[in-house]
Amino acid sequence: MAVEPLEITNRIRELRESSGRMSQKALAERVGVSRQTINAIESAKYTPSLEVALRIARVFDEPVESVFVCA
Amino acid sequence: MGASFEEKSVWVQLIAIVIGLGAYFVLAGMQLASGAYEIGSYVGLFIAGVVALVALMIAGHILAAVREQPENADERDRQIRWRASHGSGWVLGLGVIGAMATILLGLERVWTLNLLLLALALSECAALALKLFYYRRGF
Repeated sequence: MAVEPLEITNRIRELRESSGRMSQKALAERVGVSRQTINAIESAKYTPSLEVALRIARVFDEPVESVFVCA
Repeated sequence: MGASFEEKSVWVQLIAIVIGLGAYFVLAGMQLASGAYEIGSYVGLFIAGVVALVALMIAGHILAAVREQPENADERDRQIRWRASHGSGWVLGLGVIGAMATILLGLERVWTLNLLLLALALSECAALALKLFYYRRGF
């Protein structure tokens, strides 16, 4: 049975800015991916694995479902 | 968005293959057209093409590394690699079928050899082009 892919947005840019303007590079280093991957996630060009999503949520001390939202 | 080291590396590989092996196939095509069917007459040309390819790759990667610190591939890079090789395998498959056809048609071995080399080169170019597409457009 085919299911429609979920459209997932995220609040990473907003959370970075509210966390003292954390740069993409700083977030990337804490999560363990490249800056370009953080940029791709922010602009919804790439949906990260559950592990990376959880790592991002942990950096902002937020539940993962509050960082990644189904549109 | 600036390109990552991985993406720059893909550009370097693509350009090196197009120039190095492209030059080989142009010259080999001219030799084939002139009726040179001795495999030995293609070996030197092929070695020169591979040497050019390797030299371009080394120079390109050094330049890329000077501009940006190389990083380990992350999960997005690995997914892009997988998707690109998954999407380009058919090019190699077509080349193998073409090479089998040259044998069935009784053509000179040099046609089979060059067709297999061309299939390998085109399949790699297709994989690299797909990687660039996924890096730019996302997935």
